[in-house]
Amino acid sequence: MASSDDPSRREGRYDRRELIRRAGVGAAAVGVAGSGFGQAFYGPLRFKGRWLKGDLSLITWAHFVPSFDTWLDKTWAPQWGQQNDVQVKVDHINNTLLPARAQAEIAAKSGHDIFFDLAPRAQYEDDVINHNEIVQEVQRKVGKIGRIAHRATYNPKTKKYFAFSDNYVPDPVVWRHDIWNGVGASPNTWDSVRRAGPKLKAAGHPLGIGQSAELDSNMALSSFLMCFGAFVQNEKHQVTIKSKRTVEALKFMADIYQRGETDEIFGWDPAGNNNFLYSGKGSLIFNAISATRTPEDRNLPFANDLWIWPIPKGPHGRLGYQHVMGCWWIWKFAPNQAAAKKFLADLEIHYKDAFLASKFYNFPSFPGAYPFKQIRKAVAQDKHKPLGKYGVLTTIAQKYTTNPGHPGYANAAFGEMFAKSMIPQMFAQVSQKKMTAQEAVNAADRDIKQIYAKWRKLGKI
Amino acid sequence: MEALAPSRPRGRRWTNVFERPAVLASVLISPAVIFVTALVGGPLALAIWLSFTNATTGLHGKWVGLENFRHEWGNPAFQHAVWHTFLFTVISQAIVLVGAGLIAHAMMKNIRGKWILRFLILLPWAAPVALSLMAWKWMFDTSYSILNWTLVHAHIYKPLEVPQYLAQPKLAMGSVIAVHTWRILPFAVVIFLAGLASIPKEVDDAAAIDGATGFRKFWSVTLPLQLPIATVALLFGIVFTATDMAVVYILTQGGPPPSFSTEMVTTWAYKTGIESGSIGPGAAISLFLLPVLAVVSIAMLLFARRTEVS
Amino acid sequence: MGQGLREKGLAYLIIGPFAIVLAFPFYVMVITAFKNQSEFYDPSVTPYWFGKDSPTLANASFLFHHTQYPTWLANTAIVGVCVVAITLVLALPAGYALARLAGRVGQSLGVGIFLTYLIPPTLLFIPFFAVIKQAHLTDSIWSLVLVYPSFTVPFSTWLLMGFFKTIPQELEDAARVDGASRIRTLTRVVFPISIPGILTVVIFSFSLVVNEFVYAFTFISPSDHKMVSTGVYTDLIRGDLPEWGAIMVAALIPSIPLALLYNTFLDRFIAGFTGGAFR
Repeated sequence: MASSDDPSRREGRYDRRELIRRAGVGAAAVGVAGSGFGQAFYGPLRFKGRWLKGDLSLITWAHFVPSFDTWLDKTWAPQWGQQNDVQVKVDHINNTLLPARAQAEIAAKSGHDIFFDLAPRAQYEDDVINHNEIVQEVQRKVGKIGRIAHRATYNPKTKKYFAFSDNYVPDPVVWRHDIWNGVGASPNTWDSVRRAGPKLKAAGHPLGIGQSAELDSNMALSSFLMCFGAFVQNEKHQVTIKSKRTVEALKFMADIYQRGETDEIFGWDPAGNNNFLYSGKGSLIFNAISATRTPEDRNLPFANDLWIWPIPKGPHGRLGYQHVMGCWWIWKFAPNQAAAKKFLADLEIHYKDAFLASKFYNFPSFPGAYPFKQIRKAVAQDKHKPLGKYGVLTTIAQKYTTNPGHPGYANAAFGEMFAKSMIPQMFAQVSQKKMTAQEAVNAADRDIKQIYAKWRKLGKI
Repeated sequence: MEALAPSRPRGRRWTNVFERPAVLASVLISPAVIFVTALVGGPLALAIWLSFTNATTGLHGKWVGLENFRHEWGNPAFQHAVWHTFLFTVISQAIVLVGAGLIAHAMMKNIRGKWILRFLILLPWAAPVALSLMAWKWMFDTSYSILNWTLVHAHIYKPLEVPQYLAQPKLAMGSVIAVHTWRILPFAVVIFLAGLASIPKEVDDAAAIDGATGFRKFWSVTLPLQLPIATVALLFGIVFTATDMAVVYILTQGGPPPSFSTEMVTTWAYKTGIESGSIGPGAAISLFLLPVLAVVSIAMLLFARRTEVS
Repeated sequence: MGQGLREKGLAYLIIGPFAIVLAFPFYVMVITAFKNQSEFYDPSVTPYWFGKDSPTLANASFLFHHTQYPTWLANTAIVGVCVVAITLVLALPAGYALARLAGRVGQSLGVGIFLTYLIPPTLLFIPFFAVIKQAHLTDSIWSLVLVYPSFTVPFSTWLLMGFFKTIPQELEDAARVDGASRIRTLTRVVFPISIPGILTVVIFSFSLVVNEFVYAFTFISPSDHKMVSTGVYTDLIRGDLPEWGAIMVAALIPSIPLALLYNTFLDRFIAGFTGGAFR
């Protein structure tokens, strides 16, 4: 969908670029090609950002909420391009293959000016510019960067922003109110989830907290650990997974699985828990609001019984990860860095449109870009039942969401641990009785420490 | 060619150099060799170099010697991946070889409806695998599986106790083997059919005159003639299975935790090198297969070359 | 007669079950492709057939109106034809030489070619991308036309070698005794008789082009230059919301004509066997 922009416009752009390439790279050639350079002397003063010129290329995922891509490709990018006299080209590829493309671009030192992925990729730090300048620029306009975004994109060791985050996505618990009501319970605390599990399962509606090697499970289980006061690392980025609290959390989750879930939670891909919910079987999952938008769009019979709540409370409180951490970065080898920086800054400064186009999916990384108060008002307009159900998203975003790597920063070691699904593996060892909780924690501790040692040696943490 | 001319004893026309097998052979083989080496040589050299470095991204890293290989050799995750790759390859190829042989021979019979049956058998090879795997994903889905719908409606399983094709370790391995077999079986059938069809009528007639029929004919005439092609077909299957990660990556991403029962050398290399940003070790993992496959291939290729039509 | 009948029955017994199992996913694809979306999310509707709101063309219409599917098909076809042509030009002579002429050196060269086929593509796409950039082919389908033969040629060469070996040396010797040169023997006697092998290589190379997606994904990012697999994968699989119906339509459209085409090729093989069409 993202792709179907006007072919004639595209044609024209290639022609021009081709012309530039053939004419050579000198400034004279740019003048001959009739781009912004010539106009700077002779043309009328039409453009505000006229110090920019040339082409700007972006690559990003295919957004889970397609209307966001329509807005980005057809409204925001062309308008911004016109105002700044820059040809903006937006490409999309499937999110699972973004890392592959990124590695290829790094190797060839060529590709898009701006690259997007849905998690912090600290491992590319050496290949990207310092995004501090953009952060400063946005802070001047809308106020301080949010804590979550800062801790997800800043490396305190090298004092560098390795990415610029425009948004993050709250990760609520989505549950079937009708079914839970039938057993007289609600997922307010982890204890009530554990107690309701067997009853729900007996009613034919098991719980759906994934323990699979994919994003949703990773997020849900890491959040679960935090509710139990167990953390992968501390503020100083030392591995702290080996603790009594982790052991306790593992036993707790194993009990939830053994009495309240089925084997399918080990085999899910990111769509697995969605299908589980849509089929009418599931009674609770962790997911962003695309999980409630689909039943609304498709008129599933229980769409009005889907409630959104913050993550259940554990012995250590209520705290969860974001579901997606939107991160943009500019390659060191990007030819049009000036335009790229301005593009990202402008995108964030005017985040209201982006937020609405994403149907409340993307929350701005700089709270001042579209303040919670206004978000709350906008969200209250939503007509879906139960009325006002999306209101709680702001509460979740404000109070119960933190960055990957909490209480530390999202560093490369944490990223690798995450990509290798070590948390789900540790949980699954215990749930399937392959190891005792203590053994699983010891094993995870050993593996994770190796990863941290490697990145420490590389000087990145 | 010009340079060779003076060395010839008697003056012949220049085209006659093509009568010399060695000359003609090198002329015929070189274009393929030059093209492939020019294209693959550089990238392969880079990949090998990377495997000896601690590169995290791109093509820059520090030389660490055999460290990556040593580390992975002792890594249980890698050891499991090797074992899974072995199982995956051997089992799927055994099924493909037997299945394709049976189908191809049955197809040579003059039966009615052969055309449509052949069409159905060819479908899996014609479909773009990334998309046909989505159909399998849909069929294995934990909630919408048509297989489980059938099992539940036939009262063989209760709704919450159905098999989970991609979530239970052994079943997951079975599923990826089944799907991979499904995918390459048609092509093996094609190779076998083409092989049978290539046997010249003269040979067949000669066998008939000698009074060879049925099994004896198969054993003493058809099989030896098929051997070179069957060997190459099998070799293709082995290499393709060991190096292509499409089925495993799309269906299970390596398999359910904690056992990761379908993690292959390929998926492990991809996860290490691309997804978690350790290109050096990732390159090392993917190169581990090379010598093993090379030994297997050279042995089979030499065998295929030596099998002469008697 | 009785034996012939038994043999035919046996043939059905072998082919029938295989055909059903191999084609079953396509049956599921057809049903899902033309099913109303809310029906395939509803477990009370049988997955084997349509519900009351189906069959529908809604999924197909989505595919054609909201994506650049026809462009992707065309790109795939262009790359496929070019790769097949390059493969045949390079592999046909090489395969013959390996089967008949090659001495020690030629043989090692041949083994060398094959070994390049063993290189796992998992990570090779990274250095390859640097080559593509040097050739100024980034984001163009010609990058794939350049790279794909690197894995179709090695295998095709050896496959063709296998076919050439099934042709008895005597046929060629007879032609040469009649005074034909080696080249003439090759074009007039050997190539015509190896049509099954050539068609097999066509089936192989074209399918690999349609199937491959790691290179296609990493080399090409603009939507209008994508191949079928990568285009569908980006525009129809949005993380947790695959457009199942449209994906099934997208899978069926290239599969059916290709399977028909391959089947026609097979007819040629078998005609050659039973009727002597090649001789």
